[in-house]
Amino acid sequence: MSGRVGREMGETLKRGFQNGLSITVEMVKVIIPFYLIVELIRHLGLIGFIGGLFRPFMSLFGLPGESALALIAGYTANLYGAIAVLKPLHLSSRDVTTIALMLGLAHSLPVETPITRKTGVNAWLLLAVRISLSLLAGMALNLAWKLF
Amino acid sequence: MEALLTSLKGALLLCGQLFCIIVPLTIFYEFLKTRQASLAGKKRALMGISGRGLVPLVTGIIIGITYGAGVIIHSIRSTDIRKREAFLILLYLSVCHAIIEDTLIFVVIGANVLILLGVRFFLATLLTYLASLVGRDRLR
Repeated sequence: MSGRVGREMGETLKRGFQNGLSITVEMVKVIIPFYLIVELIRHLGLIGFIGGLFRPFMSLFGLPGESALALIAGYTANLYGAIAVLKPLHLSSRDVTTIALMLGLAHSLPVETPITRKTGVNAWLLLAVRISLSLLAGMALNLAWKLF
Repeated sequence: MEALLTSLKGALLLCGQLFCIIVPLTIFYEFLKTRQASLAGKKRALMGISGRGLVPLVTGIIIGITYGAGVIIHSIRSTDIRKREAFLILLYLSVCHAIIEDTLIFVVIGANVLILLGVRFFLATLLTYLASLVGRDRLR
């Protein structure tokens, strides 16, 4: 009896570990290119240009313009991509919290929206809710940082 | 060349940190999946979500939408959960899911845990509760 339980636990453990490995492989495939592209952009001195381009929009959230790249990576790819973009940008803890909140509310949209659709609910409405909440929460947290 | 190596080192370090978060979590998720049936017995409805709805809800909150997709889709389609309740579950999950992983990976680069967790839970609960009030009378 206990032998069977032990074997089942061992199999669960193995499955969990294998899943972890395959997620890690997918993660590495996203992180390395995103990270290197941002480092390249930084070394080429293009961060200032990109920052300027997105500054008007990102200032709504009190964030530097170049952090728009993390938002785009997170919305369209996944959170690993967003982290890979954020780390070389060296933002303050406050800014990381703001963008992490925005990304937590909306990310991996091309993957998660079809999954939502498969449950039979109105996925487009939920997509709109996620993007609006993400933007509104970013603005609200920016105001909160300024007030407190 | 040296800059490339430094960048690559930084990227690999980040992968290593995330690996240390992901593997223990996926093992934990597999153990959770073996016990999730015990949730379905709970009778009370919260925010318009019944006991049966707790299986996809709790799975999504902890494990996430992408990784928990199988369980979430199956547990909603294979039971007689109504469309309205399914919407409330997915509304909650859209705002608040994979809370352990999503939070920890941002903590690695310096984010504030309490703000991330607090705001997502609060917004998900508030929105789902408000949505559960809409059109409730029509069902009576």
